Amino acid sequence: MTSTESAATEATRATTATATDPAETGAAAELLEAEPSVAADQSRAAGLGPIGWLRWGWRQLTSMRTALILLFLLALASVPGSVLPQQGIDPAAVSQYYQSHPALAPFLSRLSLFNVFSAPWFAAIYLLLFASLAGCVLPRTVRLVGSARQQPPRAPTNLARLPASASYVTEVAPARALEQAASFFRGRRFRISQGDGWVSAEKGYLREVGNLLFHIALLALLFSVGLGGIFGYKANRLLIVGQGFADTPTALDVFRPGRLVTPGDLAPFSINLHGFTAKYVTSGPQLDQPLSYDASLTYQATPSAPVRSYQLQVNHPLVVDGVSVYLIGHGYAPIFKVTDGTGKVRWDGPVPFIPVDQTTLTSEGVIKVPDAEPGQLGFAGVFLPSAVDEGGRLESAFPEALNPRVSLVGFTGNLGMNSDQAQSVYQLDTTGLHQLPMQPRPLSAGQSMKLPDGLGTVTYLGYQQWISLAITYDPGQLPALASGIAALAGLILSFMVRRRRMFVRAVAAADGSTQVNIGGLARSDAAGGFENEFDSLTESLRSELAATEVTIADRQQPASVGTAEGSGGSSPRASTAEGSGGSFPRASTAGRSGESSKASTDGE
Amino acid sequence: MRIDTTLAGFSNGLLLAAILLYALAMLCYACDFAFARHRLMAGLTDAEQAGRRSDSALAEAAVPSLVAAGAGGGVPAVPAGPAVPASSAASVHPPAAAAPRRHASRWPAGFWLRLAFGLTCVGVTAHVAAIVTRGLAEHRTPWGNMYEFIAAFTCVAVLVLVAASIWQRAYYLGLFVLVPVVFGLGIDLTVLYTPAGSLVPALQSYWIAIHVTAMLVAIGLFIFGAVTTTLYLTAERSQRRVAAGRPSWSAGILQHLPGAAVLDRLSYRSILFAFPVWTFGVMAGAIWADHAWGRYWGWDPKETWSFITWVVYAMFLHARATAGWRGRRAAYIQLIGFGCLLFNVIGVNLWITGLHSYAGMS
Ligand code: HEM
Repeated sequence: MTSTESAATEATRATTATATDPAETGAAAELLEAEPSVAADQSRAAGLGPIGWLRWGWRQLTSMRTALILLFLLALASVPGSVLPQQGIDPAAVSQYYQSHPALAPFLSRLSLFNVFSAPWFAAIYLLLFASLAGCVLPRTVRLVGSARQQPPRAPTNLARLPASASYVTEVAPARALEQAASFFRGRRFRISQGDGWVSAEKGYLREVGNLLFHIALLALLFSVGLGGIFGYKANRLLIVGQGFADTPTALDVFRPGRLVTPGDLAPFSINLHGFTAKYVTSGPQLDQPLSYDASLTYQATPSAPVRSYQLQVNHPLVVDGVSVYLIGHGYAPIFKVTDGTGKVRWDGPVPFIPVDQTTLTSEGVIKVPDAEPGQLGFAGVFLPSAVDEGGRLESAFPEALNPRVSLVGFTGNLGMNSDQAQSVYQLDTTGLHQLPMQPRPLSAGQSMKLPDGLGTVTYLGYQQWISLAITYDPGQLPALASGIAALAGLILSFMVRRRRMFVRAVAAADGSTQVNIGGLARSDAAGGFENEFDSLTESLRSELAATEVTIADRQQPASVGTAEGSGGSSPRASTAEGSGGSFPRASTAGRSGESSKASTDGE
Repeated sequence: MRIDTTLAGFSNGLLLAAILLYALAMLCYACDFAFARHRLMAGLTDAEQAGRRSDSALAEAAVPSLVAAGAGGGVPAVPAGPAVPASSAASVHPPAAAAPRRHASRWPAGFWLRLAFGLTCVGVTAHVAAIVTRGLAEHRTPWGNMYEFIAAFTCVAVLVLVAASIWQRAYYLGLFVLVPVVFGLGIDLTVLYTPAGSLVPALQSYWIAIHVTAMLVAIGLFIFGAVTTTLYLTAERSQRRVAAGRPSWSAGILQHLPGAAVLDRLSYRSILFAFPVWTFGVMAGAIWADHAWGRYWGWDPKETWSFITWVVYAMFLHARATAGWRGRRAAYIQLIGFGCLLFNVIGVNLWITGLHSYAGMS
């Protein structure tokens, strides 16, 4: 059967369900969890004014189709976030984009396309989606709780019409056979309802529980993420071997507090870096590839706490006082001594250089000496950890410092450091500077370079290593993990559990024996297997009743007897499975009957 | 630890052997379609093929024909909706049709099919062995770069095929699943090949065995789902055309396949397995990211595309539960989801740089 037909059938069924006489629909209606169709709402909206419109809007928002559309928009809206550079992830790439696309970039920026995941339109989509989710899930939860004591519906009259069916003949009397069937299913934790000549059994309410758990857990996940954004903080700090810092906003290079975080909330730990080793592959096709990074730290949780040591590695963060400290980068900090024209030492210490080539760790950096006299001095340098001569040019051949060299270009003039504008310590603003006429010469440790015009000397003394640390505190983390696990559990539950109904009817046959008819139906049998379960259930029940199975041909007859007896001349249409509760409602989705009736127009 | 290059070379040989065996198997599957006269599926309705299956989709298929059958039993005829033309055949009663199916053998029937399936099994054994020896040669989990990752998830796809063949008797899928597998492995071994080696520090964590394994298992299942969904769409289209009295180019080969509903169900099932595994994989990835980079979610391109993929497959599951969307539209959504997945595996690795740039392609 094609989807067209199934859609059409569904539409037919939807109308059947509403058109049948009230007596028959009674059970079905409460199961259908009927919601008025959208069409009905529309007319009401027109008639009822603002309240009607609100109701109409709410129904639209919480409809399955809206959920579909919003999910689609969410996926679509994420795409630019992966294609365009993002401010929060790689600000340098954003500035680069500005340079290479000067006309386009400001326009994209106005659309928040460099900040997709914190853009108002992105927030609008997911907030709408989660509003829709809440509006969809909360009523279902209430209904599920309400149905905790609900009985399965009356058995349909003609069980042979159900997707799975079987028939037996037994010597046990009908009433007794039904009693046995009821206790058989009760023993298997089915819910039972019984009536004159029939037993209905239902199991698998956990499916709906799983589905709701999944969706509610998604809401919880969103709240957990929000929690982290409000009460957590993130920071970065570059640390040279031999140095230390305390966790205060001023000591951090980058500090991004959550909305409600004050400096006083920072955990009062301090860290000292004593050594760092990086190991690399030294031969073969993977030459240059890092093997391990290892930083030796000591830390104190509070200023008065004992000093502890820790080996910080990638994938092995340090956790102090709920705050995690991660090793996220490393590099070299060449040590310089700058003596100015007056003979005073104006700089003596390591300067962190930033790797520009991750495989060879060729690094660049600047030295700014604003106090130098007679003129301010600035240097732009390149550090080569393992310098080799490549046809007259020095290049780094390996990331480890096997043959470190520094070459410097000197500047003098105005460094521009007393203007209000914040300056990067890693960049030289050359607008007020002019380059010193010097022959660039790669320095090895201990070598100096004399600056022209009596401006002084610069000496390269050696190098130190630095690491960069990410420091995060995220109180939403554990709740997020818990929600994630709950979502997964709900998902698996809803996929594994099948909601199914079993019906038994017993009739006395002419020869004094009892004819037992069994029918079964699964509403959701996602993982399959209802057929087997039905077979094994009917087989066990058969042996319990000491019955013999009858063939299909035999079955046709008593089944129609059942029809005559059961619903006494009711219309044939009413005896379809639908009318008598033999078919499950399509949970709340069918309840969204707006879609059901739409199906007839949709299914082209 | 030192890389065992001899063993790594052996692994390459095994992978090449697996490709050749798969290619041969494809040929035999094709011969089975061409020459075997047994078990043509034509003439059976979906309801019959599905037997007494009773999940929501098939209940729909089955109920109207049962009504028609009931009509034969003396009840005034109710036009059973726009029932399939073959619904007269349905009055044989599904249980009757289901009976032989239930007793049917698990194992493939016919020379060509047996040979094809045998070759597939030998091929997948070589494939698994290639992955295991690679891991032994490298002393680590053997899915640390794009080459290894593709080799691993194609292996999962074939394992899913073998399982579905045995448990669902879906032998007819062999050719269709092996085509993309052979294609993928061919490119993997030629263009994307990366020599055996060790991992960068960020990947040296037991989480690689958890996160990446989940991802590749899910991908294998998603591949299977995408193949069956494509077949479903073909079959559905052909059935519509035939019903409308128009010619259908695919009717010939579709004779060897079950009807649209069975394919649809098979595809749905594979997504039902894949989706939770993918969800778990994304979550495990988040936990790992938290260990390695200090944040569990940072909208890195790889993370973003995993999220997009997840959302689109969630759309698929929703579409399956929304009237007017199940069937063809849901199938298209699934294919879009698979497109996102492919882009994540290939496009993001090759064209977009991010923290996840471990593909070993520089
Ligand atoms: C954050 C957005 C959402 C996501 C990621 C999502 C995801 C999913 C997934 C994966 C399933 C299949 C698993 C299961 O059956 O338990 C599902 C099912 C379902 N969802 Fe959602 N959902 C979302 C929002 C919604 C909304 C807004 C609604 C209400 C309109 C909704 C209603 C349903 C229903 C009724 C099912 C059951 C389908 C069935 O019976 O097979 N979901 N959802």
